[in-house]
Amino acid sequence: MTQGARPAPPKKSAVPYLAVAAVIAFTVFAARQVGFSLSQIVNNFQTARDFIGRFFPPDWAWAKENVPGPMIETIQIAIIAAIIGCSVALPIAFWASKLTANNRWVYYIDKWFLNVIRTIPDIFWAMLFVTGIGFGAFAGVLALIMFSLSIMGKLLSETIDSADPGPLEAAKATGAGHTQAVQASVLPQVMPNYVAYALYIFELDIRASTVLGIVGAGGIGRVLEAQRAFFRFDRIMAIVIVIFVIVFLIEQVSVFVRRRLV
Amino acid sequence: MIEFKNASVTYRGGVRALRNIDLTIHDGEFVVIVGLSGAGKSTLLRAVNGLVPVTKGSVLVDGKEVAGASTADLREIRSHVGLIFQTFNLVIRTSVLNNVLMGRLSKVPLWRSTLGMWPEADREIAMQSLERVGIVEKAYVRASNLSGGQQQRVGIARALAQEPKVLLADEPVASLDPVTSHIVMRDLQRINRELGITTVINLHFLDLARAYGKRMVGLQAGELVYDGNIADVSDDTFREIYGRAITPDDIMEMQG
Repeated sequence: MTQGARPAPPKKSAVPYLAVAAVIAFTVFAARQVGFSLSQIVNNFQTARDFIGRFFPPDWAWAKENVPGPMIETIQIAIIAAIIGCSVALPIAFWASKLTANNRWVYYIDKWFLNVIRTIPDIFWAMLFVTGIGFGAFAGVLALIMFSLSIMGKLLSETIDSADPGPLEAAKATGAGHTQAVQASVLPQVMPNYVAYALYIFELDIRASTVLGIVGAGGIGRVLEAQRAFFRFDRIMAIVIVIFVIVFLIEQVSVFVRRRLV
Repeated sequence: MIEFKNASVTYRGGVRALRNIDLTIHDGEFVVIVGLSGAGKSTLLRAVNGLVPVTKGSVLVDGKEVAGASTADLREIRSHVGLIFQTFNLVIRTSVLNNVLMGRLSKVPLWRSTLGMWPEADREIAMQSLERVGIVEKAYVRASNLSGGQQQRVGIARALAQEPKVLLADEPVASLDPVTSHIVMRDLQRINRELGITTVINLHFLDLARAYGKRMVGLQAGELVYDGNIADVSDDTFREIYGRAITPDDIMEMQG
């Protein structure tokens, strides 16, 4: 078999080196801009050690009396927000996909709506609702509903985008209406993803709801903020440990269930 | 009865998929449509149920105009016309029975299909449809666990569950091996004979067209270039429709 000459290896590109150099240069520049200083960390080492010492030992006697109630409220906020947010997100996600939107206008308006609510961070939603309807858990629930809705809307609509369009055409060919055709042909395709996303969003809501209390939206965050104001770091340590254990346990269960779904 | 009257389809972008088609298909006929890929076979089928609207002329199904029909009228027409796909288009994550029940969607309200609370009569129709294609024992199996031939029979059952007057099949065996292809073609032929459902099938393989067709329609570049009895069709006829010599790719028996 006759063969052509072996080709010369392609010339090495300088782009990767330049890219690494650019990243390093930008990091140094940014660190200077924000006043990042290693010497400050080293010089304050003694202060830091004293500060960390104030977290120990955790005040369990106090925690036993004062943590369970607000912690349960935090979990309740997360559960309600995840259920309502993910339910409302279901039709909104279907309108935000070109495959299943009723028409172009629904698609563009819905897409725009999702982009707007996603731009606003959860803590800012909480501040808005606290200002609007007053302190308490209800403001926290509303804030996390918006948060859950924005994440589910984004994740699910992108999953719908990549669904097989064939069954939808088949359903429409039987004379089914738009909503019914979508329900019968696309919904079963994305259902396992939907449940997995809902569990993931519940995890995020638990974590988010622990800090929403700082701006007055109920739950354990309110207690955390009060003890910080009194410099009771031993109590804060106890709260942080409780939050850590509960978030960890819920994540383990959620990961286990999600792995069996998709 | 299906009537094309001077019907044309021009896609956005200017591709003329169908040009001035005049074609009448009578009740109970078994018609095979042949032509190269891109000749307009799929467009012709989808013009019948309005999935592709004709841009000129008219298409009538049992005297009802498809072109320019309202959404409600179009759904009514579609509910009497079953469509079978090359790629089956099943929802593979759900059961065979749920896929077949899709053929009953236009007969039940949204809440019933959403909650899976199908009336007993509709379940019975779905089961009978599965019996007709001989895979009723798979009713509760996930569609993804079926072979290609079995999936296509579920596709046929879904169409039958509509209790259709017309059955359209778009290259129904192009994704199947020869043995399974013959099983599916025989199913379609038997359904046409037993139930008298008007059947229109797009086919690429000439030997399949000869073996199962009665009447053959040839399309070339969107134009109807042949319409006649399959018994009168010679290799020359195929050569004219295809606009080139017949190759082994055109004959199923010669596929590796």
